[in-house]
Amino acid sequence: MAKKKIGIIGGGISGAALAYHLSLYDGEAEVVVFEKDTIGGASTAKSAGTVCLFDDSLKNRYWDVRLYGFESYLKMEAEEKGSAGFDKTGTLVVATNEEVEKVIKTGIALAKAAGYTGEYITDKDRIKEILPDISTDNILGAGYTADDGYFDGTMISNTYAKKAQKNGVVVKTGVKVSEVVVEDKKIKGLKTDDGQDYEFDVVVDCTGPWSKFTGEMVGLDVPIWHTKAEAFFLCPPGKKLDYTFPVLKYPEFYGLRAGDNIFICKSHLSMDLSNPMHAGQWDPDKLPATGGTDDYFIDFLLDQLEAKVPGIVDSGLVSSWLSYRAEPKDFWPILGETPVEGYMLSTGYGGNGVIEAPAATRDLAKLIMRGESTPLLENWAFKRLL
Amino acid sequence: MNIAVLIKQVPVSNDVSVDPETHALVRASSEGMVNPADLNAIEEAMLLKEQTGGKVVVFTMGPPDAEKALRDAMALGCDESCLVTDRAVAGGDTVATAKVLAAAIRKYGQFDLILGGALSADGATGQVGAMVAECLDIPHVVEAQGIKYDTDKADRIVAVKKFHDKKLSIRCALPAMISFNFGCNEPRLATLRTKRAAKSKPLVTYTNADLGLPLDEVGIAGSPTAVVDSFSPKAGRKAAMLEGTAAELAKKLYDLIEEEKGK
Repeated sequence: MAKKKIGIIGGGISGAALAYHLSLYDGEAEVVVFEKDTIGGASTAKSAGTVCLFDDSLKNRYWDVRLYGFESYLKMEAEEKGSAGFDKTGTLVVATNEEVEKVIKTGIALAKAAGYTGEYITDKDRIKEILPDISTDNILGAGYTADDGYFDGTMISNTYAKKAQKNGVVVKTGVKVSEVVVEDKKIKGLKTDDGQDYEFDVVVDCTGPWSKFTGEMVGLDVPIWHTKAEAFFLCPPGKKLDYTFPVLKYPEFYGLRAGDNIFICKSHLSMDLSNPMHAGQWDPDKLPATGGTDDYFIDFLLDQLEAKVPGIVDSGLVSSWLSYRAEPKDFWPILGETPVEGYMLSTGYGGNGVIEAPAATRDLAKLIMRGESTPLLENWAFKRLL
Repeated sequence: MNIAVLIKQVPVSNDVSVDPETHALVRASSEGMVNPADLNAIEEAMLLKEQTGGKVVVFTMGPPDAEKALRDAMALGCDESCLVTDRAVAGGDTVATAKVLAAAIRKYGQFDLILGGALSADGATGQVGAMVAECLDIPHVVEAQGIKYDTDKADRIVAVKKFHDKKLSIRCALPAMISFNFGCNEPRLATLRTKRAAKSKPLVTYTNADLGLPLDEVGIAGSPTAVVDSFSPKAGRKAAMLEGTAAELAKKLYDLIEEEKGK
């Protein structure tokens, strides 16, 4: 049987995970990943990697997606310590209103059903034991699990790429795709900036914030907006925390420990796509490695921390960065077929790429190799946005 | 004590190449930051302000977006700032730059002390601080590690320099200019609160017309330096990807380090 030839553009977590899942089809696929920089760099490297059992970022409707991601990384970590960069800090999700409280309680029930711990805490002293710097004024309670924490998107991408390579996938880094060849609205292959031509049956765009530009190569208007993921690394007053800072989730922002520092980022669901300060269509190639945050973010974060985590509001600002999240207008990914035959998308993960990539690319690999769709592919299909 | 601190906005990226035609530095990124050694100078200024009171004014010459570096400096505690920005002064060498900065300091007010970083992270000439002092006709000490100030002897300051394994203490009459080595202290960090406060601190902008310097003394026209050659250093190192288990990697790394030691 002739092997299916698949080219993947982009070696972030989506591209690397897809390569791995395709490589599991026991020699049936011939896969090449093209990454213009390094595996798991760019927006994957700037991901917060908070793969938590319950929070507000991915609706409970997609619990199985979350669980598959979480357990994939746990297995990865168990196979080789450090390969998923797991920092088991636990997660505290704060309920500021009854609606959020309900979501958290549902998440806890689902986590428990899968065999993990979870509790909804209303005892404010107990909440302060977990996070002494928090203000418990104006909160109803908080969900807590000790079982999850931070996973490192760059480590995971590289582990997936390494596993895929062991299964025969070719990974080309430092190579930029310069042209995607289409004939009669059908994919033929692609060309790279080192002068090489490749023939492919399927080309998958895994370029995230670059998808708008990648799609233009096949005449496709990929409906992606960029929202700003602005993050600060804070050095707490006193320089060293004497407790384990958990992944902390509020609807407006989230935080986690990063060594002795605390990483704080604005949550993607608090973005307003009609607000030009939050969203637009920009050139991700022009993003600096560090810095680039807007003044409004300082005001926003100062107000948030003063009210919610006053113990860390006077932390030193060690560094900051800005990255662009790729967001379709409904904040769900775009996965699967497009009007160009053989050109597929695995993009638009917004702030949830690390959580969603394993399940999304598992299903996409099945579609590519067997032509079989799944409920997830149906929900996240490109056609919903047409 | 009123202190002026000279800072420079330098590129964040180290990705700098040389234009073969003009020998000018070509920077990959336009994102700027405060020159690291200048942060050490700001820290010394803040410590002295805490000891003596007074105000700290930060100065720079650059394009309009150098305001960001000034705001960053004010977020560290500097009270006021002054930006000299004018196409007429752009492209100046160290002499022309020093004349502009000295004129800006003179116009702004009286200072007891002028501080700065010893070297910039991009040009690294180490000349501007001393040249500013010469323009202002005040003494200067370069590449200091720290300063000591005794309020009972308010007309002088002691700059401490490294001299091989010894310390050299140099007493200097005020006003004076002192430049500090990168890493001589641990600069404080801005906070969200100080960042917000810095947005409303005073920032004065001067053009060359405000300073009244002749056009043939500033910018490219006023620069006696001609860069006859500059080049990128040849990369003498090669990267290698090590593979294996954690234990194998540790052994390989150990062997490589031992091998390098033996060279």
